[in-house]
Amino acid sequence: MASSVNLTVKLGNIIFKNPVLTASGTFGYGIEYQKYLDLDKLGGFVTKGLSVVEKQGNKPPRIIETPCGMLNAIGLQNIGVDKFIFEKLPKLKDVNTHIIANIYGSEVSEFVELTEKLNEQDNISALEINVSCPNVAQGGALFGKDPDNVFVLTSAIKKVSKKPIIVKLTPNVDDIAFIAQAAQSAGADAVSLINTITGMVIDTKTKKPFLANKTGGLSGPAIYPVGVRMVYEVYEKIKIPIIGVGGIYNSNVALQYLMAGASLIQIGTANFVKPDISKEIIEGIRTYLDEEGFKSVSDIIGIAHN
Amino acid sequence: MELKILENIEIAQNTFSLKIDNPNLFDALAGQFFMVRINGFNYPLLRRPFSIADFNENYIEIIYRVVGEGTKILTKKKAGEFIDILGPLGNGFSDIGTGKKIFLVGGGIGVAPLIYLKNVIESQYRLPYKAYFGFNFKEEIYVDFGEIATMDGSVGFNGNVVDLVEKELDENSIVFACGPTLMLKRLAYVCYDKNCKMQVSLESRMACGIGVCLGCVVETQDGYKKVCDNGPVFDYREIVWQAL
Repeated sequence: MASSVNLTVKLGNIIFKNPVLTASGTFGYGIEYQKYLDLDKLGGFVTKGLSVVEKQGNKPPRIIETPCGMLNAIGLQNIGVDKFIFEKLPKLKDVNTHIIANIYGSEVSEFVELTEKLNEQDNISALEINVSCPNVAQGGALFGKDPDNVFVLTSAIKKVSKKPIIVKLTPNVDDIAFIAQAAQSAGADAVSLINTITGMVIDTKTKKPFLANKTGGLSGPAIYPVGVRMVYEVYEKIKIPIIGVGGIYNSNVALQYLMAGASLIQIGTANFVKPDISKEIIEGIRTYLDEEGFKSVSDIIGIAHN
Repeated sequence: MELKILENIEIAQNTFSLKIDNPNLFDALAGQFFMVRINGFNYPLLRRPFSIADFNENYIEIIYRVVGEGTKILTKKKAGEFIDILGPLGNGFSDIGTGKKIFLVGGGIGVAPLIYLKNVIESQYRLPYKAYFGFNFKEEIYVDFGEIATMDGSVGFNGNVVDLVEKELDENSIVFACGPTLMLKRLAYVCYDKNCKMQVSLESRMACGIGVCLGCVVETQDGYKKVCDNGPVFDYREIVWQAL
């Protein structure tokens, strides 16, 4: 690459080689994608949400496609943090990118236990706290919709964590910036937004909700304007970095998030459609910056506010 | 991978054969599938999983039924255009040469992967087999071998294919099956009764096809398993049929 554009982004004391991460729940434990993509090209990736014990997830049907999007209610099926540490992480030891562990608990004590276990893992760069899953009965968005809960939980995790903490926010609230402020006050190092938007599809044959969980989280290109708007709003209210996520399927949308104020972005549902899409998006960002005469990606972060 | 379409024609009512140029870069087992991107846009968003109806050095054949907007758009694709496929994915049928009497039992569009399996049995294993296929009515039939059952009695046996094959099965049989869930469920109960072996290829909605979205799971004796990469072919004794 002849271009001299600087794509590196700093979050606390972590340096990302570029602003492109892949989103939790769409990238497995990373290993699954090695056949399709050189993980070293990524700024980093976020693991499937990990819980203290293995979770079976919701009953099927769990997904349904919608126009330019999809609704899912997986219910955080995962192998549990111990199996992740002993079976998956060793396979990732030669990967030269940042691995961010997404963690989920139904109580504060579970989040603390997860944080303590992951503290000891050198190749985990940061933790992303899932307070926004719309598809589980306990925890999840029940935490994330209440600023007091977000404050208490984030503070408890910060107290024990040796790694930077990213709080992942739900869009299913009146004022997402208010929740982001609570996370910031509690010491969060960054926030990521948005998680999926709650929705429902009804099967007119059976006359019942299509998903066994009834509601699900809407993701995909259809939702990106919501995410961009929320990043824009949050950027005006907080000082910590924002990670933009929601419906990014090409470099143009990724750039919109950066311009709205995101320091980094995450690619989610688009990974399902094209497993190596993140590579294209990184190159697209580089090309845009080069053509527009920007020296560094940091020059466009929040530029839409000027 | 972007491959050239050789042919995309209607071979039975609402049923199309899509033949794609085989680049001869990979092998594919009977029972495996491809995730096919309908077009390069965001609608329809997700790839569609399609089983392999034939695979040889000249072409890859997919037989699909028009069930929704995605497959309707796919019918508009013409020879000479390119199509983006991911795969082959999943496990495929196994233990074909076990010395048991081989039965292929399919229903509707589920007959498609059994056509490729039949070609593999004939060319690689050279074993005898019997095939039984069920359709709703004459115009749906797209296969030129095996015994046919139709629900309206317009061709062959009048009724369900499970009723047609039932009396043939015993403990020396191995069944390879694919079709509607209810058909497979009935067939599973018959196989339990007759104590025969059976591998079923299951269908499920999937977003990724590569084991990460966890959208396609089926309930098994060991908890949820992914149809895309633990399957799509399962031993019928693994599946919790009551949940389907």
